[in-house]
Amino acid sequence: MPQEYDSRVHTHLDVNNGLERVTELVHTRLVESGWRDQVRLACRRAIAENGNSNIPTVDELISTVTPKARTLVPDAVKRELLHEIELILSNLEKTGYAKSFDDS
Amino acid sequence: MAMTVKGCEHFEEFKEDASNMETLKWIHSVFVIGSPPKHKQIKICNSFCHTCRNQGPYIHACLECVYFGCHEHIREHTQNQVHNFSLELNYGQLHCTSCNDYIYDTELDNIATKNRMQCKKFHQRLFQCTSWDPTEEERELLANQTKKVCITPETTIGLRGLMNLGSTCFMNCIIQALMHTPLLRDYFLTEQHYCKYVQGTCLVCEIVKLFQEFYNGDETPLALHNLLHLIWTQATYLNGNRQHDAHEFFMAVLGLMHKHYSESVSHPTKINAHSNAANCSCIIHQIFLGGLQSDVVCQNCNGVSTTTDPTLDFALELGSVTEGGRSPCSLIDCLESFTKAEHLGTEKIMCENCGSKQESTKQLTIKTLPIVTTFHLKRFSHSDAGIKISTAISFPEIIDMTPFMSKRKEEKPFPADNRYSLFAVINHSGDSANRGHYVAFIRQHYDYWYKCNDDIITPVTLKEVLASEGYILFYHKQVLDYE
Repeated sequence: MPQEYDSRVHTHLDVNNGLERVTELVHTRLVESGWRDQVRLACRRAIAENGNSNIPTVDELISTVTPKARTLVPDAVKRELLHEIELILSNLEKTGYAKSFDDS
Repeated sequence: MAMTVKGCEHFEEFKEDASNMETLKWIHSVFVIGSPPKHKQIKICNSFCHTCRNQGPYIHACLECVYFGCHEHIREHTQNQVHNFSLELNYGQLHCTSCNDYIYDTELDNIATKNRMQCKKFHQRLFQCTSWDPTEEERELLANQTKKVCITPETTIGLRGLMNLGSTCFMNCIIQALMHTPLLRDYFLTEQHYCKYVQGTCLVCEIVKLFQEFYNGDETPLALHNLLHLIWTQATYLNGNRQHDAHEFFMAVLGLMHKHYSESVSHPTKINAHSNAANCSCIIHQIFLGGLQSDVVCQNCNGVSTTTDPTLDFALELGSVTEGGRSPCSLIDCLESFTKAEHLGTEKIMCENCGSKQESTKQLTIKTLPIVTTFHLKRFSHSDAGIKISTAISFPEIIDMTPFMSKRKEEKPFPADNRYSLFAVINHSGDSANRGHYVAFIRQHYDYWYKCNDDIITPVTLKEVLASEGYILFYHKQVLDYE
């Protein structure tokens, strides 16, 4: 049952562009709140720490910076995201899910 | 001119086979851009890890066989199968297994840019990683521009006092509000106006000049005699030295700017066709024009006749008593009574549905909201010799307009974000429309408020702003949608 609900949620999110909307929203918020600049700074720092001889690959950078970047996400952004997702899911409860691909 | 970046020797080898590049182009267009809808469907149905069936993180597509994988599994796949290249599907970055890292290549960038431009919708993620190559001219401009301004809460850039030229505070306060309308400021500071008018007769040009004056860093108060003269000659009812209604002036300025804009644009025929319609492309209508829907419901057959009217502001009554027997005391109250169904009395109206004259109700709702929504609190009744209604009306810093919108027939799966935030308030002190004084509160640098009393500008707190009486309230849409 939870598995089935999971895939329903996924379909709902994709078909109605919900996922895209939320991603875009979070994206905007993270830029607005200065999060992106902070993470950029953290990346620069991580590269500088290693010195010139040992430049980390993108994958290495991701694994070192990600934990820190997660803690930097402002609470307000998390709350808003939660609220948006709740809205979408309550919509799922109401309407079931659309089966057509509509790009409107 | 543009810098060329070569990825790595492995990618050079890969590029030699034209069919490889075709594959890359196709995967990028379908799985990274995902437009048109047909491609989007393919993207959604296939973008999951073939090993763990998760949708993330960082789904990559292998360029050498049909395999999709999450961050962990794509690396395993390319290692084990000795497939060299995989494309990250969120941002379109290319990973080279031999180099064990992502590579940057001009040719790849060109493909990405070309595909991006064909995408009909704007996606932030797609434009995030584009670089800007300044042209020769831009380089020169940058080199010559040595003055740097750092914006801190203490900077006064953008704040200019305006001299009172004899009861011209009605003009000063509106100009202050316009100068601090974020979208208008961005438009005018990027020099979007091209004028065909005789010099000195175009209001838009005058506003362009004003924006330059406001944001050049000077602090001395300005005298708006040119602007005043322009208004006097073009809107004669605002003539003379007596006090005028700030709202009347506001409407006149918007009207004139729209007129001058549409007459000076290079395709007059194209614009004229739309000049009265709601889809006028001028900056004023793009920002300030909303639509009111009026539904007249026949009490006999419940038939509805709907009309939509464009409007530049929302004029709210204060005098009328609401149903509960109390006067409205907040902006929300006013909007509620504004959008309430109203019985049209005993006067009968022809109903198109049942073909007879019937008693009806009329309801106004907001069909389309402008980006800048202005609420005009009707404090002056024009019938009673301009007597002022001083009822205290509270207004919020952020208002959600969703409850006052027209209901659509088919509801969209996700409600639009209709939150608006306050950025300017015009206040009137005095007891009638023809006397008294106007003062503007304006917001600057997101969260700082200033009181503009002609040539005197003082910092104030948000609390003081919200506690003021309020005559015209300016709200700006918080989240701008792309069309």
